[in-house]
Amino acid sequence: MTVYESDLPGVGKKHEIELGDGSRLVVVTHNTGKREVFRRADDDADSEKLFELPDQLARQVGTILEGAYFQPVRSQSIETLLGGDTLIEWVEIPEGSDLDGKTLGEADLRQETGANVIVVQRGDMTITNPGGDTELRAGDTLLAVGPREACRTFQSIVTGE
Amino acid sequence: MVEFSLLELGELFVVVAVAGAVGARFGLSVIPLYVVGGMVASPFVAGRFGLPYVLQSETLTLLAEVGIVLLLFFLGLEFSLDRLLAAKTNISRAGLIDIVVNLPVGVVIGLALGWPLVEALLLGGIVYISSSAIITKSLIDLGWIANAESEPILGTLVFEDLVIAVYLALVTSLVLGGDGAGSVVRSLAIAFGFLGVLLVAVQYGTRLFSAVLDVENPEPFVLRTLGVLIPIAGFALSIGVSEAVAAFFVGMGFSTTEHRERIERRLVGIRDVFAAVFFFWIGVNTDPRLVLAAAVPLAIAVVVTTPTKIVSGYYGGRVYDLTPKRSLRVGVGMVSRGEFSLVIAALAAQGTGTIMTELIPAFAVGYVLVMSTLGTVLMSESDRLEALVFRESQESTATAD
Repeated sequence: MTVYESDLPGVGKKHEIELGDGSRLVVVTHNTGKREVFRRADDDADSEKLFELPDQLARQVGTILEGAYFQPVRSQSIETLLGGDTLIEWVEIPEGSDLDGKTLGEADLRQETGANVIVVQRGDMTITNPGGDTELRAGDTLLAVGPREACRTFQSIVTGE
Repeated sequence: MVEFSLLELGELFVVVAVAGAVGARFGLSVIPLYVVGGMVASPFVAGRFGLPYVLQSETLTLLAEVGIVLLLFFLGLEFSLDRLLAAKTNISRAGLIDIVVNLPVGVVIGLALGWPLVEALLLGGIVYISSSAIITKSLIDLGWIANAESEPILGTLVFEDLVIAVYLALVTSLVLGGDGAGSVVRSLAIAFGFLGVLLVAVQYGTRLFSAVLDVENPEPFVLRTLGVLIPIAGFALSIGVSEAVAAFFVGMGFSTTEHRERIERRLVGIRDVFAAVFFFWIGVNTDPRLVLAAAVPLAIAVVVTTPTKIVSGYYGGRVYDLTPKRSLRVGVGMVSRGEFSLVIAALAAQGTGTIMTELIPAFAVGYVLVMSTLGTVLMSESDRLEALVFRESQESTATAD
């Protein structure tokens, strides 16, 4: 995907985003803050206006498009169904947990539960695809994928309940 | 001169408000409508029918001058030398094609009509300079702004804006400089000396400009902006230098500060008010009979300078590697003439001789009325024009084969 940016003197800025099928999305940001969004079917076609938004609303829609507006609240247990029987589970390691200080390999969670840790979230840091030598700490949030039953076991082992 | 009363100012605003409403209702550009409104409210029309009318007065002229100053100030504010330099090859090539074709055409028409050189030069400027306001608005209204043709159009307008600053500085000296080569040279030296000083101040004064405007409340912010702008423009005028160009440079000075957007937001309403007064004032000073008297040069100019703009715009579009169809649109998009042609006319009105004081202003009003309407119509009907031009060219290629 390529984004082309150009100045529109006296008007504002224009961004063109390639959509992959030969068409382009054209976003005109006026100096007043108004955004106009067009679609251009091909290089030689005229731009077709899709919609326009005032500044504030455009920013809000932008965050929704970005996926940042819908923030799932992290609690002890949140599950997201992937389809069939497979879940993604967020589990936080509580203070004083046995897992604090162990590596993922030592904890051997996959063997014990059948759920696989795909991400370790530590504060602002995200460790994706953690390996066996990744050290776990209290306060980390683990994202695990696995069958429903495995996730249940995973959750109770990590939280110690 | 008779004094301009509050009641007359009220009449002015009623007229421009109605003109604006008519424009919005029928999708017409407001600039020519404000001018027509002024003509209708003038002694030449309303006066003849025994209706209350607005007199040409010094006060109204002063308010109109503020309009010119604010128009050019905003132009400077939007104008970025960096941007021009960044895109220099394309913008300057398209801009050069534009000026090399259209400015001489106007001068030649003037000379052919038997006008002196300075008058012909004014005519050249009037037919050369396209209307940034009308064209930009049409681009947005028609959605062309998101198409490839918007870049050469807006780029050429930026080039024209820079040219108009230099041009106004030059012709102001020629018009106001008086008779004799010596006094013209002296007034040119004063003009370019003053503008040079102003340019240096603009170049190195960013921090000073920033400091002056560094205030939280909107009220002192607006007042300080005007407190810098108006005195500089007024001083320029008092020494025979174009107040419009001085305002343009002050705008450029402010454009490099972090306050630019705030100035635009806060002052845009004030600009619109005074710009409307300026266009109205142009109308008030125009006797429709004089416009009719200018019918011959007007017809010649319309017939000649519509195609020249389309042709120069077409080649400007080709510079940007656009297809022939899109390049034609660039040409069609450049046809509208407006505010700057009227600024030149207002300058001519301060000169001497009936060509300058009567014929050129009347011509400019008629020309702007025709060209702004024609330009807007051509843009909205460009589909038909394209079909016509390109079907015919296909047929002619077919017959040639």
